Amino acid sequence: MKIDIKIQVNGAWHELAVDPGDRLVDVLRDQLNLTGTKEGCGEGECGACTVNLNGQAVLSCLMLAVQADNCAILTIEGLHKGAELHPLQNAFVSEAAVQCGYCTPGMIMAAKPLIENEPEVTEGMIRRHLSNNLCRCTGYDQPVKAILKAAEEIKGGGNV
Amino acid sequence: MSVYFQIEEYHRPRDLAQAVEILSKYGKKAGVIAGGTDILPLRPGVKKIDRIHHLVDISKLELNYINNEKDTIRIGAATTINTIGACPLFLSGPYRALSEAAEGHSTTTIKNRATLGGNLCNASPCADLALPLLALDAILVAAGSNGEREIPIENFFLGANYMALDSDEVLLEIRIPQCSEKTGTAFVKLRRQQTAIDMAVVNTATFLTINNGRCEAARITLGAVAPISFRVKKAESMLVGAKLNAETLQKAAATAAEEARPIDDIRATAAYRKKMVGVLVRRSLETSMRRCGS
Repeated sequence: MKIDIKIQVNGAWHELAVDPGDRLVDVLRDQLNLTGTKEGCGEGECGACTVNLNGQAVLSCLMLAVQADNCAILTIEGLHKGAELHPLQNAFVSEAAVQCGYCTPGMIMAAKPLIENEPEVTEGMIRRHLSNNLCRCTGYDQPVKAILKAAEEIKGGGNV
Repeated sequence: MSVYFQIEEYHRPRDLAQAVEILSKYGKKAGVIAGGTDILPLRPGVKKIDRIHHLVDISKLELNYINNEKDTIRIGAATTINTIGACPLFLSGPYRALSEAAEGHSTTTIKNRATLGGNLCNASPCADLALPLLALDAILVAAGSNGEREIPIENFFLGANYMALDSDEVLLEIRIPQCSEKTGTAFVKLRRQQTAIDMAVVNTATFLTINNGRCEAARITLGAVAPISFRVKKAESMLVGAKLNAETLQKAAATAAEEARPIDDIRATAAYRKKMVGVLVRRSLETSMRRCGS
């Protein structure tokens, strides 16, 4: 039996009919074609599916779509403003923090609430905060540098 | 349809009465869902999920709160682990072990969804939040078709992934008795790697009340070394009434290690676990003692 839900994704409301067992990641990818959100392990270990739910970083493989009913979701596709990238996206490019790219959307979506809510982000905080985001290319240093750089920029009043 | 997670029906009761009605109707075929972080990783073929055909979502039951009252601190069962970890009430004083367990539970992304009630009802032998609550002598409040009842947390865990709620019952609230300023608590967790995600090899929470240099109350709890989280009462009794020093704490920790009943598994051998109980309990007791009255 399908369930009707209403979710706001990247600013736009969608009315959808979902199966009770559909996870949020399934609906984002298969119904809304937002394939920026990746599924890695499907059991909450790798963080590739991280999205923001009402401003908090959550794993879209560890919640059902129906649980997101009436919630606001932000995915990697919703970060840029027109042609302008988000400071995190710019910093990941300039710091060469992307290798194969599979973990990147999850890392950025995990980092966003941290750098927006913490006035003084440190390297240690970033490393702890991203401990749910695995990179199998093992390039952790560049993402950490990129997030520090984006945090500086946001503090200085950059585009959020 | 998701190939990973299959369920016949998802219920979103408006209130407790409706939730209990649905749970009574479907019995063991129904399961309660709050955050979902323990249920969603389950796969068909795993016994637990094969029996669940109906999920009952308790998010509309307004069980997300922390109330600091005169005699009791009341925490709603659907309060997230991150909310508990960030609550100023637990960051200092006698309830410190609770915020330490919340901090050590897992990662931010999981803790934003995972709930206190879920951590208890999943009844994992290594559940982090179970230990400070055992140490603080918490009372659990559940409601079902026969009304509300209180369950002392010591009677809640019955076996690995097996607890005292009936199939028509919902855990509503966790009540922590207010304790003396002269109490200190601590939580310590050992994992294989320094990642925030792995489960405990051994975890412990301890509780000490010290008055005029004498120990008035002592509770020592162990996780991941038996089918359930439990208190080691022989070790506790060595501390009550005693003047605490490095030697008494060390002896109690050694007794706690004797009381542990660990097994070999993928995370560690039983022998290693036993040895680590001695180390972790000693450290946790030392920290609890330092925190008494501070």
